[in-house]
Amino acid sequence: MKDFLKVGISGVRGVIGETFTPQLATSFARAFGVFVGRGCVVVGRDTRPSGDMIERAVVAGLQSVGCQPLLAGIVPTPTVGILVRDLAARGGITITASHNPAPWNALKFMGRDGLFLDRTRAEELLDIYHQGRFDLVNEEGLPVTEIISDPTGTHFKRVIDYVDSAAIRQRRFRVAVDACNGVGAVHTRRFLEQLGCVVTMCHDLPTGIFEREAEPLPENLGALSALVSAQHCDVGFAQDPDGDRLAVTDEHGLPIGEDLTVALAVQAVLDRHARGPVAIHLSTSRAVQDVAEKRGAEVTRTRIGEVNVVQAMLALNSPVGGEGNGGVIVPAVLPGRDSYIAMALVLELLAKENQTLSQLRQAIPRYVVIKEKIRVRPEQVPEILRLLRRRHEHDKINLLDGVFVEFAGAWVHVRPSNTEPVIRISAEAPTREAAALLLQETRAALAPVL
Amino acid sequence: MNGLRLSSFGLRGFVGESLTPEVVMDFATAFGTFTDGGLVLVGRDTRLSSPMVQASVIAGLMAAGCEVLDLGICPTPILQFTVPRRKAAGAIAISGGHMRTGWNALTLISADGGFVDPVSGEAVLDVYHARDFRRADWQHLGTATKIDDFAPPYFTALEEHLDVAAIRRANLTVVIDVANGAGCRYLEPFAQRLGFRLVAVNAEESGYMARDPEPRPRNARQVASIMPLANAHAGFVTSSDLGRVSLVAEDCETASEEYTFPLVADHVLARTPGTVVANCCTTRTVDDIAHTHGCRIVKAAVGQAFVISTLTDEQGAVGGEGNGSVAVPRFSRAFDGLLTIGLVLEDLAQRGGTLSQRLRELPRYHIVKRQVYGEPRHCYSALDSLHRDTEWATGATLDSTDGLRADWVDGWVHVRASRTEPMVRIIAESRFRSQVEARVADIARRLEREL
Repeated sequence: MKDFLKVGISGVRGVIGETFTPQLATSFARAFGVFVGRGCVVVGRDTRPSGDMIERAVVAGLQSVGCQPLLAGIVPTPTVGILVRDLAARGGITITASHNPAPWNALKFMGRDGLFLDRTRAEELLDIYHQGRFDLVNEEGLPVTEIISDPTGTHFKRVIDYVDSAAIRQRRFRVAVDACNGVGAVHTRRFLEQLGCVVTMCHDLPTGIFEREAEPLPENLGALSALVSAQHCDVGFAQDPDGDRLAVTDEHGLPIGEDLTVALAVQAVLDRHARGPVAIHLSTSRAVQDVAEKRGAEVTRTRIGEVNVVQAMLALNSPVGGEGNGGVIVPAVLPGRDSYIAMALVLELLAKENQTLSQLRQAIPRYVVIKEKIRVRPEQVPEILRLLRRRHEHDKINLLDGVFVEFAGAWVHVRPSNTEPVIRISAEAPTREAAALLLQETRAALAPVL
Repeated sequence: MNGLRLSSFGLRGFVGESLTPEVVMDFATAFGTFTDGGLVLVGRDTRLSSPMVQASVIAGLMAAGCEVLDLGICPTPILQFTVPRRKAAGAIAISGGHMRTGWNALTLISADGGFVDPVSGEAVLDVYHARDFRRADWQHLGTATKIDDFAPPYFTALEEHLDVAAIRRANLTVVIDVANGAGCRYLEPFAQRLGFRLVAVNAEESGYMARDPEPRPRNARQVASIMPLANAHAGFVTSSDLGRVSLVAEDCETASEEYTFPLVADHVLARTPGTVVANCCTTRTVDDIAHTHGCRIVKAAVGQAFVISTLTDEQGAVGGEGNGSVAVPRFSRAFDGLLTIGLVLEDLAQRGGTLSQRLRELPRYHIVKRQVYGEPRHCYSALDSLHRDTEWATGATLDSTDGLRADWVDGWVHVRASRTEPMVRIIAESRFRSQVEARVADIARRLEREL
């Protein structure tokens, strides 16, 4: 993957020193400036060592086409979305490769609504980039960069105002946080202390040199688990480097699985804040669906990709939703994944339900997901998908991304990978045996075309 | 003609047209590659485009793995002075210098504080064109650190170099116009250290060039008009990078920028005799001054880098050009406007007279500068034909170090194709006005026939 550069719906991603150069960043920033038009553009970044260099390149690119850069500095990705709307900016650029390893970095683009660009808009941006004809401004028209003071102020206030912060403060929760040496290392302590928490942290130097794997998966949370038990905390929170995803451990330090963060958030919002449909993406755990349906909420599954979930939520007027990777979305606070609203909702649940986290976990149905991939030639893919559609024509089927088939209490999802010559098969069921069976049946059904 | 100009000394272009962040970044990464990821200093002037260019330069250097010290707004001579003291591998100066609004430029500075020599400069250009860049991975990217403690050592060295006691005693009032350029914030400390009363003109970092930033009589009118009101002893007009200076006397005479170098050379040689380096179209007044002091004069090709590298090669005492540039290698390898002003003030203080008297004492020539426009390829063939048919140069000795120069007993003519604009430049000097005008008219006629 030496020369890997990925340009797509989630922005421009590449490896520093190889494909992702300041020259590339400045060209894309300039194309984005042309795309949004002259005006202000918010620029934020995570803690990666390359962030400073890329920020300078982005600033120069924006200025060259007459966009005024408003620098938020090191902030969570969701904060940039809030700032774009608050400051009535033309758009926003976040410099983060999110959960990708440290050698990577990326630009993510937001429109004036604070949402990531959807497929159509991202394609338009790419067209501008490739056409390479820009209306550069002359010296008199060059805007001056401004630095935003207290960039997370509004974001945190909106989160704190959304939940019953008095109830949370009263409990003076002991909270352990694994900031993954990311933006959380700068901001999370202050945020939780505003909620009256006693905070203890690990991986809390904002160096961008990750002391654990960047994804908040259970196997990466050893340090946090140890901290939770050593400090007798009520809960452990693990953020990803740019602060949009959250995984939770119980009071014993046991990770409950990042797919259940959304389940807790759905419970908290539907029980106390707002009613309405819930949107999750295709590979989000069935547990979330159960929690929502138990509360009478309809559940819609969307294509993979944060912006797809958000757009569905806005269209359906959905109060809560997200992704099984720990990405909680509450549009009333901001229309994007946000680990801060996720933390606040979990704390609110603990405060109001008067239960421990392990007890809350017990109440959520258990499921097991099994995944595998099969090597295929690209030309085999259409036939594989056609065969599955025929096979399941009488089942509940969703064709947004490959073939997703829903059964009572279980599902199976078959889709071609965007990055490798494989198809991915995943199945979820209440038990490992049931999931394995589902997977095996699907594989068997595909045998004739493989 | 607002195109990009790349040379072995740097890059210049017009903002909004040829000078894009990508070009600047590529050039900075090429220089970073050349230094093999060494320590590089970056300073800029106050132009509105300079922050954008600076962001691009620093990003480009970091990508090559260079550690960057960012001096912020810093005159090019102070940047050059600082390079060897920080043991840096080099520096990039961001300044439009004497060019009008809209232009900006990068100048490459070598480890000794001089300009990058032509051979090294071509190596940088080769890297740029081949895009054969050094690319650091994420763990070895350069970092950029802002520093603001570099000016005091410079001023201390300046104090040690000059006879500050004499300047202080002379109780001088001095008008300085820095074109709202990089010099603005350094004028106050400069005046305090040297002990003169400062009247600062166009000294706001507004980003706008309040006047054409080229130091020459027609841009010195503001200073001239203030001289009597301020009861000033001397007036100075600088370029936006503080590299060049032209003089205004207490009687409001706006002296040609040609006289800055001879006046300072006369003063320096009296104290420290040595070789003088000028370019081949600098006023003959400099030759006369050098002879008066019994010093040798060496002519370099036109361009600041050539003069500085010749100064180094010849271990010269003072060097300069007719555009108001002066360098004293004992102090630094830069054309330094503050040092130039300081030396003029020291000269006034030690001698006691007025600046107008001092200027009158210099041997003066009638000087004529003229341009003949034409496409660059035609310019060179027109020069060739001047070289073939030398009827115009009867009685003169010819020299073709850089363009074509003819020397008579009473004066000289220098003809060369401009490197930056589509034209042939003619510069001529003579003791006799009629003589110089006739010679220039004759050559211009011959060139116009060809162009």
